Amino acid sequence: MAKAATGRSHRIRHASELDLLPIMNLFCVIIPFLLLSASFLEIAIIEMSPTEGISTGAGTTSLAQSEEQQLQPKIILTNEEMFLGTVFGTRSISRVFLEERNGDMVSSYDYEALSDALEDFRGELDTSFPTIPVHKITILTVDDVRYDNIVMTIDVCADHDFNQPGLQVAAYSVLQRQILAETGGVSP
Amino acid sequence: MSAPTKRHVPLTLGHKKNKASIRGKDKKVTLNLTSMIDMFTILVVFLLKSYSAEGQIVTLSDALTLPESRSEQKIELNLEIIVTNDAIIVDGEPIVYVDESLLSEGNPIPVLVERLSDHLEYTRLMRGITDETEMKVNIQGDVATRAILLQRVMSSCAQAGYATQNLAVIKVEGGDEE
Repeated sequence: MAKAATGRSHRIRHASELDLLPIMNLFCVIIPFLLLSASFLEIAIIEMSPTEGISTGAGTTSLAQSEEQQLQPKIILTNEEMFLGTVFGTRSISRVFLEERNGDMVSSYDYEALSDALEDFRGELDTSFPTIPVHKITILTVDDVRYDNIVMTIDVCADHDFNQPGLQVAAYSVLQRQILAETGGVSP
Repeated sequence: MSAPTKRHVPLTLGHKKNKASIRGKDKKVTLNLTSMIDMFTILVVFLLKSYSAEGQIVTLSDALTLPESRSEQKIELNLEIIVTNDAIIVDGEPIVYVDESLLSEGNPIPVLVERLSDHLEYTRLMRGITDETEMKVNIQGDVATRAILLQRVMSSCAQAGYATQNLAVIKVEGGDEE
């Protein structure tokens, strides 16, 4: 009598195993190589444009350049406040507050408020002077503003296409006089 | 207690061997490499992402912490000026030591201007470069450097003939706004 078919094969199947050793060897070579040539810290640069005071004095200014210079905004960083000076007037952006950076309490500014102000200014420029491209911006600071605050300010400016920053440093008294003059004698 | 299967041979240490392990001692034990391969694959992908064919073209000083920026501009090989709170170093050589008198005024620093002018002249002679736009410096400044010191270094560079000054920063990913 024939054996009833069960539907199952009784042949023993040997699962063929992949030889992983060559892959392991490859990985053991490639990982140290990549570890050596990997750069975990990428360095970039911010190209500063020469401004008055640090200019080389070269070149003549065309009419378009002078128009751009007239429209060029400036960000004023003092020990108490941050201002944005534009062709439409100078106004306060934020007051200085203390912030923890790398374990130290340091002075900082409200960069979001600066971003909003620059966005508004960019909109006004595009509406009022659509033919004049304005990319330069001056960062005018008092002498003891920290370098990282300057770089953060430059970053925010670059976000709004003011990507040719220049740096000027003035004494606090000089800046104070300038701010008072531009705001009509009333400190904001 | 059931006998161990062929796939899971118990680990035997010393001479405490039971019958089950003695019976299975002629079995071939293979190491399961799959999980290790998985880990290596993830590691290789991560390392390939951070692989740099150019290598490091600037040497970062231990004495300073560069500020972070979202700038995308790649660094080029130029004359390096390192500005810390202690000294100004040009091409690895300390030129000026920072003190209160240095931070009290805003003019170019004469010693630095002289050193940079010498370097510029030397570069011109050696490479035959006459175009001023090719004369660039990379300034590496510590996060806590005061603006007056940075401005004095930059104005010294400008006076010496280096029209373009690049500020070296640590690149960070695009930020979280928008």
